[in-house]
Amino acid sequence: MMKKITAIALTVFMVTGLLLTGCGGSGGSGDGGGGKTVKLGFLSPITGANAAEGAAARNAFKLAIDQANESGDFDYTIEVIEIDDKSDPSTGVAGAQKIVSDPDVVAATGHWNSGVAEATIPVFKEAEIPMLIWGAIASDLTSKDNYPWITRSAPTDVQENVPLAKAVLDDMGYKKIFIISDTTSYGAGNSKAFKAELESRGMKEVGFEEVQEGTVDFHAILTKVKSSGADCVYWGGVVTEGSLLKNQMYEDKVDALFCGISGNYSEDFLKISPEASEGALVVKPGIVLESTDAGKKFIEDYEAAGFSEPIGAYTPYAYTAAEILLQALKECGDDVTPEKMRDAIKDGSFDGIMGTTTFDDIGQTELVAAYLNVVQDGKWTVYDDSEYADGTRTFPGK
Amino acid sequence: MGRFGNLLLSAILCGCTYTLVAIGYCLFFGVLDVVVFCCGDIAIFGAFSIIGAFTIIWSAGIFQAVPAIVAVLILLVVASILCAALGLITYRVSVKPFEKSSALMPLLSTIALGVVIKEVLGLIFQPVVNNIAKGVVRVDDPKTVVGGRNPQSMPQLIAAGGSTLTRNLIIIIVVALILLALFFFLNKTKLGLSMQAISQNKELALMTGVNVKSCIRWTFIIGGVLLAIGGFLLGNYQTILRFDGGTMYGTKGFAAAVVGGLKSTWGAVIGGMLLGFVEVFTAGLIPGGTKFQNVIAFIVVIIFIVFKPEGIIGEKVAEKV
Repeated sequence: MMKKITAIALTVFMVTGLLLTGCGGSGGSGDGGGGKTVKLGFLSPITGANAAEGAAARNAFKLAIDQANESGDFDYTIEVIEIDDKSDPSTGVAGAQKIVSDPDVVAATGHWNSGVAEATIPVFKEAEIPMLIWGAIASDLTSKDNYPWITRSAPTDVQENVPLAKAVLDDMGYKKIFIISDTTSYGAGNSKAFKAELESRGMKEVGFEEVQEGTVDFHAILTKVKSSGADCVYWGGVVTEGSLLKNQMYEDKVDALFCGISGNYSEDFLKISPEASEGALVVKPGIVLESTDAGKKFIEDYEAAGFSEPIGAYTPYAYTAAEILLQALKECGDDVTPEKMRDAIKDGSFDGIMGTTTFDDIGQTELVAAYLNVVQDGKWTVYDDSEYADGTRTFPGK
Repeated sequence: MGRFGNLLLSAILCGCTYTLVAIGYCLFFGVLDVVVFCCGDIAIFGAFSIIGAFTIIWSAGIFQAVPAIVAVLILLVVASILCAALGLITYRVSVKPFEKSSALMPLLSTIALGVVIKEVLGLIFQPVVNNIAKGVVRVDDPKTVVGGRNPQSMPQLIAAGGSTLTRNLIIIIVVALILLALFFFLNKTKLGLSMQAISQNKELALMTGVNVKSCIRWTFIIGGVLLAIGGFLLGNYQTILRFDGGTMYGTKGFAAAVVGGLKSTWGAVIGGMLLGFVEVFTAGLIPGGTKFQNVIAFIVVIIFIVFKPEGIIGEKVAEKV
């Protein structure tokens, strides 16, 4: 008897659950524009471990779409099918299937998690619906195989090396770079990318060492760094080993700049003493929103809309993805098809809050918005606001 | 100091950290003929207990009132007691129950215990320490430790404010003193001689009136204290520590002990130093050699196991058929 009741109760819950998700999915449908609608899919983790980023991204995306619907620029209503992928590949695939089975869908944008993106990419490719990745950063998601259906408006982890190289090599003028990275694919990808940056400037690193993940003792390498005469150490790994390396550079009195990409931007880096962490230079993707008018307007609009989730690191990227899709829709004119959207996205040039986005020959964005951060008195500080930028303090190796 | 001098110093320091763990393996193997595989994790536990004790005692306002050397001694005593207790627990939980079974059982059970120690440190270290610190807080600037599954920064206790070189030299001197004390203990005290007797022939030792049971317990207590000091020195050398750092540290220590000849403490010293020198000089002298430093270190270990299985200082054991 109890079993029967449980079974019935479960069924009721499941049906209600389905109905609720159904309602959520069709949310945002409007009645303007002569009744014609065009649908866009949006996938992000709205519940689960990454809910904060995912829900904020969803908010930003819908904010952009609502603004577009209100603007009257479109002769149809744009509707969003929003999917909660729960950071789970199989849930993501089910959601992707729901999106591609709707005949009104012309494009989709999705994913915070690279693993989920990997799982849904085949669904979109097979259904021939263009999918623009807004937040997953594993570098192999955009590829020759996936092009042109899959494009990405977020920079990959490897791409962050471009603005870092520009700052360190061009603006600050460091000449003798010693590259240290770990042997993971992340570390190898970074050292390769940074070496390419050096080569493009006709330079060559003065030394290159790879360490295993979990290495704690860098003193031996640092003797090499010293004897190579390097003025800058590029660290291609993450904070775990990065902070130890920086600490030992301080202990061994290595007179060289420490720089790395966003894997080092963490409070964990500050666990070494303030004297040891001082002057570490790390690049972080995104823009300082407050620094541009468009960014400020985005913050105002987002806050005015009264969302419960605050703006996260990747929220502006979701907004950018919406800006790209909207401009692509405009280019397609009145008769929007997935094929037209695909071509409009891959060939287009899109102005947005992060800058102008264009895509390369595998559909990866060429816009790498990023800004520098430096440790000053034991705290991460935006480089432009730091005493290093105004010349009060100088980096080592200068 | 030139480049070679720096490398030499790094190699000695690296060797020191391996040596202390290797001696732990030797002591336990000596009296029990089993490999207690969680030595590295016990040492990391020791270092973490120092971080925790420092946080709590600082928050209670005691350290501000006493000279630095007293503070360090208090911390060492606390960590030693905790590690000795953990040593006894290790014996009681994962060695003694398997006395009659094959030597593989305690090996497996101590590996398992090592995982438990590591995960417990990762999960409950931070809330436990912070709650106690909150309870005793008597100063304006109480310290807290940060999230457990992260690296923890070790308070700088050796040559605080002094140069790194001073600190490193003190670490080396302390290790040398510990080795001397250990040598004295093993060869001049009754307990130490009993331990050696058990190590050479358990039955005979039993017959000559050595209290084997109490001797084994003392070995775990002394091993625990030694590992606590090892953890303290390691923490001061590395300045930040990960709760899961014990695995690699333990494996290297074990390798050093095997190269030295598992039963000999001097062998452990030589094995530890050899491993440290191979690692540091591979990384420091061969261009691009860093990624091979562990590979080369372990190749050296394999070569020793193949060509000198009894270790550098070890007796050939002739098995009677």
